[in-house]
Amino acid sequence: MVVIRVHADIQMGDFSGADLISDLPQSIIESILTQLPIRDAVRTSILSSKWRYKWTTLTQLVFDEECVPRNERTLFQKSLVNFVTHVLFLHQGPIHKFQISASYLQSCPDIDQWILFLSRNDIKELGLEFGEGQWFRVPSCLYNCKKLTQLALVRCELDPPINFNGFISLKSLNLHQVLVPPDAIENIICSCPCLESLSLSYFDSLSLNIHAPNLKCLYLEGEFKDIWLEDTPLLVEMSVAMYMTDDIAEHFEQSSSCNFVKCLGGVPQLERLSGHIDFTKYLSIGNDLGRLPLTYNHLKTIELYEVSFEDMKEMLVVLCLITSSPNLVELHVSCSNSPAATDDPDLDFWEKKRSSDCLFNRLKVVEMTDMSGGLQEMEFMKFLLGNSPVLEIMSIKPFVYDMETQLNMLIEL
Amino acid sequence: MHCHCQMSEGAMAVVKPEMKSYIWLQTVDGSIQQVEEEVAMFCPMICREILQTGMGSSKNYAISLPQRVNPAILGLILDYCRFHQTPGRSIKERKTFDEKFIRMDTKRLCELTSAADGLQLKPLVDLTSRALARIIEGKTPEEIRETFHLPDDLTEEEKLEPLRNITDDPRIRLLNRLYARKRKELKERQKLKNVEVEEERVDERSVDDLLSFINGGDGDSKGTRTKNKKKHRRRKEQNKDSSSNNSNWNHNKEFDPLPLAGQNGDLNDIFVGSPSRNPKSQDSTAANFSSKIEFVDGDIDDDLDPAMKEELDREVEDFARRLNSDWPERMQEILSLGQERRPVPISMNDNGSASRYTSLGQR
Repeated sequence: MVVIRVHADIQMGDFSGADLISDLPQSIIESILTQLPIRDAVRTSILSSKWRYKWTTLTQLVFDEECVPRNERTLFQKSLVNFVTHVLFLHQGPIHKFQISASYLQSCPDIDQWILFLSRNDIKELGLEFGEGQWFRVPSCLYNCKKLTQLALVRCELDPPINFNGFISLKSLNLHQVLVPPDAIENIICSCPCLESLSLSYFDSLSLNIHAPNLKCLYLEGEFKDIWLEDTPLLVEMSVAMYMTDDIAEHFEQSSSCNFVKCLGGVPQLERLSGHIDFTKYLSIGNDLGRLPLTYNHLKTIELYEVSFEDMKEMLVVLCLITSSPNLVELHVSCSNSPAATDDPDLDFWEKKRSSDCLFNRLKVVEMTDMSGGLQEMEFMKFLLGNSPVLEIMSIKPFVYDMETQLNMLIEL
Repeated sequence: MHCHCQMSEGAMAVVKPEMKSYIWLQTVDGSIQQVEEEVAMFCPMICREILQTGMGSSKNYAISLPQRVNPAILGLILDYCRFHQTPGRSIKERKTFDEKFIRMDTKRLCELTSAADGLQLKPLVDLTSRALARIIEGKTPEEIRETFHLPDDLTEEEKLEPLRNITDDPRIRLLNRLYARKRKELKERQKLKNVEVEEERVDERSVDDLLSFINGGDGDSKGTRTKNKKKHRRRKEQNKDSSSNNSNWNHNKEFDPLPLAGQNGDLNDIFVGSPSRNPKSQDSTAANFSSKIEFVDGDIDDDLDPAMKEELDREVEDFARRLNSDWPERMQEILSLGQERRPVPISMNDNGSASRYTSLGQR
């Protein structure tokens, strides 16, 4: 019997050396235990009498699918929930970080109790990621977590009470596939004065008006009706992947505001801008851009993907951006696969642009992907090449299927 | 006074081209070493000593290092400091150095951790504790005890407390059950007339079992749930071979009324909870099924006649084998056990799919 034999070996007196590790300061022990998967950390309680409760004061608890043996789905859910409940039950002292993420995790009543327990134990960083299925309705005790600095929710339902005053210390908010009443989002954002990082993804038809004086990073992905950065003076990094359905586009036809200004008008400190899918299109809607009184002195990297070059308005957006960024270093542009243009590009316009004094004095890297060799694109590239004295790398990746135009393109350049 | 020597590596260096400064350090055994100033200043504790007390500038006024720092370890630490305080090293270079640096035997590593902590050299403490974590990860308790020379001084009772087994360690569970069985055996021998007591216990539980059985729904196809435990004990034993594994793996944490002293190991639960076996009604029959298995678990030790003993031994063997088999296979087995009297032999499935168990140190 393997087990019995092993037990016999571990009688006292087998080891000549003294205990190597148990007398290290608790802070080191905790540092070691924190770097172990939670399962191993809890198992140390069986090592010796000194180790019995060493793990119970850990302030960081991170759970995932590895915590319990992988079994059939329904049983897995139950054993994971049980495991977490018992860990919490045995735990002593404050818990600063709690994170659970499992593709099989479903909503269940125990989880409400976890949140309640955490809200009483000074929770600072909370992350909940549920699996597909019924989304977890976050209980009201979450809003009592006064010390919360980071909140990340995936597949949950949030419904803050009317008198919710926000999280005073919240610095980072990440909501992915979260069901929230539309006005509640804006309220949450503006009632968290310390908010520095905001990430919202997979929202439907959201009209967003952001007041966040300390916001530094913004990440948006989903279907947005409107993005208005009303009060974000410190914004440094911004990434927007925006889907625009046709009816949203129509809605804009009637409005008279300039989306570009609304979105990018109040971000003087911006260093990095990244726009995907319909973002450029969104920006192009509104009043004529003309000469904008905006300069982005810190903007170093611009990434605009899926730009429809054939649309003159979108072209203008790109040009406007890059000409307003004197310190631009990197530019990445990709072309959307729209059918060939019907109009010829306005060559006069391009002639004027090329001969203008607009120089990109710091532009070093230009990367153009998915190019289809359209005339507008060619003009744009010529413009860039002609006005970038320190350009080091110009990388052009054509759209794969169009072999013939590729060659033509290269010849022209 | 706050010492920033850790932050800016070269900033505190006071290297005069003609004359290098040295700091004198004294370890607890009395030996004194001299070290280049910028290297020594990399340690916050030494840095502070120098700035606050002015010690260290000569042999007579050497800085006394904490007891945990012996000369050999000090040498190692100074090597570390010397490397990292040199400006202009790339991150990759530093990482490579760190990886090589911590390759040493465990005893040394522990001493190094302790010494680094004494000198308040946080980057080194982080590095060494990460290395220690890597050593501990994935090992069985026995292996860990051996590596770190930990005394196995928890009493049997303490080990048996499932308090410790909430991570589903099947080896511990096996141990629990073996101990429980042995204890029962001893009790049997000591007491001459204990049948009544046992029967009472059995009866009690069979009532509860009945209740839960009724409450939980009896649509299970397994056919292992029987009302009269004594009659079908043999079958239950065999079913328990496989099914208990399931219960152990999944329902070790089932709430249970406060068990009697001698039964701790049997049911693997100590939490005082609601008297109902299922703390909340479960929709899935699978969950019901598992909770009922918990019951059966407790009866196993009542029969200790030789035939049963053989059963027990075989059961433990099976148990050990099953530690290597797949969950789906076990499910199949349970489902197919049904009316059979003998356990279905499982195909040994040692592929990596049961990696969870192999990682527990099955050899």
